Amino acid sequence: MATSAYPPPPPFYRLYKDYTQNPKSAPEPPPPVQGTYTLYGANYTTDDVLPSLEEQGVRQLYPKGPNVDYKKELRSLNRELQLHILELADVLVERPSQYARRVEDISLIFRNLHHLLNSLRPHQARATLIHILELQIQRRKQAVEDIKRVLH
Amino acid sequence: MDIISQLQEQVNTIASLAFNTFGTLQRDAPPVRLSPNYPEPPANPSEDSVNVAEQPKAMSAALVQAAKQFDALVAALPISEGGEESQMKKLAELEAENELVEQELQQQLEAAEQELKLVQELFNQAADNCLNLKKPE
Repeated sequence: MATSAYPPPPPFYRLYKDYTQNPKSAPEPPPPVQGTYTLYGANYTTDDVLPSLEEQGVRQLYPKGPNVDYKKELRSLNRELQLHILELADVLVERPSQYARRVEDISLIFRNLHHLLNSLRPHQARATLIHILELQIQRRKQAVEDIKRVLH
Repeated sequence: MDIISQLQEQVNTIASLAFNTFGTLQRDAPPVRLSPNYPEPPANPSEDSVNVAEQPKAMSAALVQAAKQFDALVAALPISEGGEESQMKKLAELEAENELVEQELQQQLEAAEQELKLVQELFNQAADNCLNLKKPE
């Protein structure tokens, strides 16, 4: 059934024949998936967290710790990137066969940059939530004021 | 576009500028003399020589410009120090305040509903009185 060109729908619909008369005679929907699940041959997890760089086998260039100073680290990574690009240009002029190490360094810096930017996203999400709550409080206060003005 | 996406786009721009620079220079560089044993390579003084002198300048200027743009974007990041705990604290405070305001709004709404019912009742009575007065004799 799963491999034909136009497979028929799953046969579960027969179980819901008397649903309008007796909603309890048909099976409940399945509970939400927990943990890891497989979809089209790939494994996914329900716990959406950004994997750290070590888990991806990439060296981390900025200091680890509870609170990373994002602006400072981003700026210093930018400077490192520029220096490495210059170094690559020099290597291509002097010793062209040794480019591979330099290119690897540059790609390492790029991966660190992107990982740092991705780790800013949860912070952005919380800030968006704070902003939405503030807007909601302001709207509700305005509504209270309007009602008071009309009634009294 | 939000600031973090702009920063990500800028990083990708810097990367593409870098590999475009190196690729163009490698493709367009004139042949160079490697050892004194071999004769000087024929330098064709066509429009190539003009371009290969100006291209590195323009491309490196673009690269530096992109890096400066990245620094400007980093400076514009609205991040306050304090991190996750201060944000969670702020969220808890806002939630509590939201609860209070919601209750007050609920009370006001109920009072307004009462007023509305009262006014509707009065309108009904007035309309009934009008109808009763207009009864043809």
